[in-house]
Amino acid sequence: MTIGIHVPILAIAVPLLGAFALPIFAKVHRNLRDLWAILVAAFTCAMVVALAVQVFTSGIQLYTLGAASPTATVVQGGFPIRIVLVVDGMSAFMGLITALVGLASLMYAFQFLKEEQGKTLAMTLFFLLWAGMLGMESTGDMFNFFVFLEVTSIAACALVGYRTWESRPPEAAFKTMAMYTVGGLLVLLAVGILYGEYGALNIAYLSSQISGTPLDKVALGLLLGGLLMKAGTVPAHMWAPDAYGEAPAQAAIVLVANTQASLYGLFRVLFTLYGGALSTPAVGWLVTALGTLTLLVAALMAVIQTDLGGLIAYGAVSQIGYMLLGGGVGLTVISSRPDFGLVAMKGGIFHMMNDAATVGLLFLAAGVVKRACGTKDLRALGGLGHDLKWTSGFFFLGALALAGIPPLNGFASKFLIYESSFRLSPILTAIAVLGSILLLAVFVRAFQGAFLGPRLRTVQPAPLGMLIAMGVLAAIILAFGLVPDFFVRHMVTPAAEALWRGRDLYLAAVLGD
Amino acid sequence: MRLVTGQGFWSPLVWLALAAGVALLAWAFWFRGRRTYKAGTDQDMPFLSGEQVPEGAHVGGQHLYWGFVEGLRPFVDRVQAFHTGFLGDYMTWLVVLLAVALLVVMLT
Repeated sequence: MTIGIHVPILAIAVPLLGAFALPIFAKVHRNLRDLWAILVAAFTCAMVVALAVQVFTSGIQLYTLGAASPTATVVQGGFPIRIVLVVDGMSAFMGLITALVGLASLMYAFQFLKEEQGKTLAMTLFFLLWAGMLGMESTGDMFNFFVFLEVTSIAACALVGYRTWESRPPEAAFKTMAMYTVGGLLVLLAVGILYGEYGALNIAYLSSQISGTPLDKVALGLLLGGLLMKAGTVPAHMWAPDAYGEAPAQAAIVLVANTQASLYGLFRVLFTLYGGALSTPAVGWLVTALGTLTLLVAALMAVIQTDLGGLIAYGAVSQIGYMLLGGGVGLTVISSRPDFGLVAMKGGIFHMMNDAATVGLLFLAAGVVKRACGTKDLRALGGLGHDLKWTSGFFFLGALALAGIPPLNGFASKFLIYESSFRLSPILTAIAVLGSILLLAVFVRAFQGAFLGPRLRTVQPAPLGMLIAMGVLAAIILAFGLVPDFFVRHMVTPAAEALWRGRDLYLAAVLGD
Repeated sequence: MRLVTGQGFWSPLVWLALAAGVALLAWAFWFRGRRTYKAGTDQDMPFLSGEQVPEGAHVGGQHLYWGFVEGLRPFVDRVQAFHTGFLGDYMTWLVVLLAVALLVVMLT
């Protein structure tokens, strides 16, 4: 038996083991800890990439825990009793985003974090969060999904608030933890309802049974409430700017990916779990409306921010709105207008990768500013471009990409969303374009305020490791912007089709024909 | 090299070619301009309505697009009003979101 068949579980188990073993290695020697972290990260990324290649070339990959064979998903009688990992195009795509963000975060963290400020703790929490996100994205079991959701919640909140010598991070962590706890309970209640109704937790089996009973609808409402909140959707988004703005830069970038993992959960529920029961476009319109509201409200709030971290945080929340808009338009027209519904889905999913790279780059650049000046207050910053030349360039690139300026990646995905949402309602497109214009103004102001003008102070440039981490994300922005068709064809389209029309394949893979 | 949407297409290479053409045109205009600029003289000083500018003065980002931001102020004020920072309000809005989601799902 080759290692290849165990790739789905190794992609989760290795970072989980890495998290628990890392403090032990740190006790021995910090160099051993760093070596362990590099090995775990490299192996995890290799597993995720290998898994994605398998999925994009051979189709859905399965892994059944505790079975004689990893592919034996059902017991005699055709009932899936064990925990099954189901990795389709969408899961593989999300895994790639998570791996990319994790790699950039770790590269940055080595030189950004100081030993006396909880470096070992931060790295441990990072690996725990990484494992939780990869678990959420590959599990085919609702209770398992809830468990990984909680793993990410605990690790994310601890990453926001572990710097207890400052006042604001613990407060932000407390607010986030309270929201995550209630959201997690909503998801758990929904899982309990579905288990009570059907006696199963397997997503494929539940999907084959759900028929739209009142209890099914209550469970869907609870799942929507919990997952929309954790994705940072207006009006339950307020924890997100607190958490993003107060988290250290290497954690903020992973929190962005964590938010996207919840968005993935929402799409999985709507398109796969309830894919056979949603016969009216009402839920699609709800997601579309909330997405439009999110992108506009967050962009308006970004206009008045004077803290660079808060400004980027609201920019990040507004990008969630674009992803929801793409997914919502797709869900609204899934049965009536498939011609542009799939385009909308591709736009929303493509924007996930682009958001991870652009917002991640902006958070890392803001971290360099905080490290150099001790503050992110735009009223106290200026002229940093004289000393932080590379960081200035990276921030400018990220800002243009976030605002959707061609030919960068943000434009490519927003273009797909604009074109498809226009066919549903031109008003949606007008609001989406307005959001981008607002963000352009906001980030031009931020760039002028922080990086241009006369030199106000002399600062040390960022170390090479941090520049390389930002360089990786900048390269992604340029590559996805200049050849978007290649990435859309080979990565985004399989992911969108896995949700769009892939429910039958998903069910057949798990339950058999 | 084209991203096809069903309604149209997006080609970054065509856009770059057009952008290069526009940049070339801008350079041509600039090249034909007057050449009286001298680096390291008073010409390097920022011009702020003819006022004497103190050394090290920086026009911060908050001053950019002032009219744009003021024009948006009525909308921004309304949006800002419900960003109170209180956890109780966060929970209230979560309940509102949950109620709307349940209402939409149950009524359809």
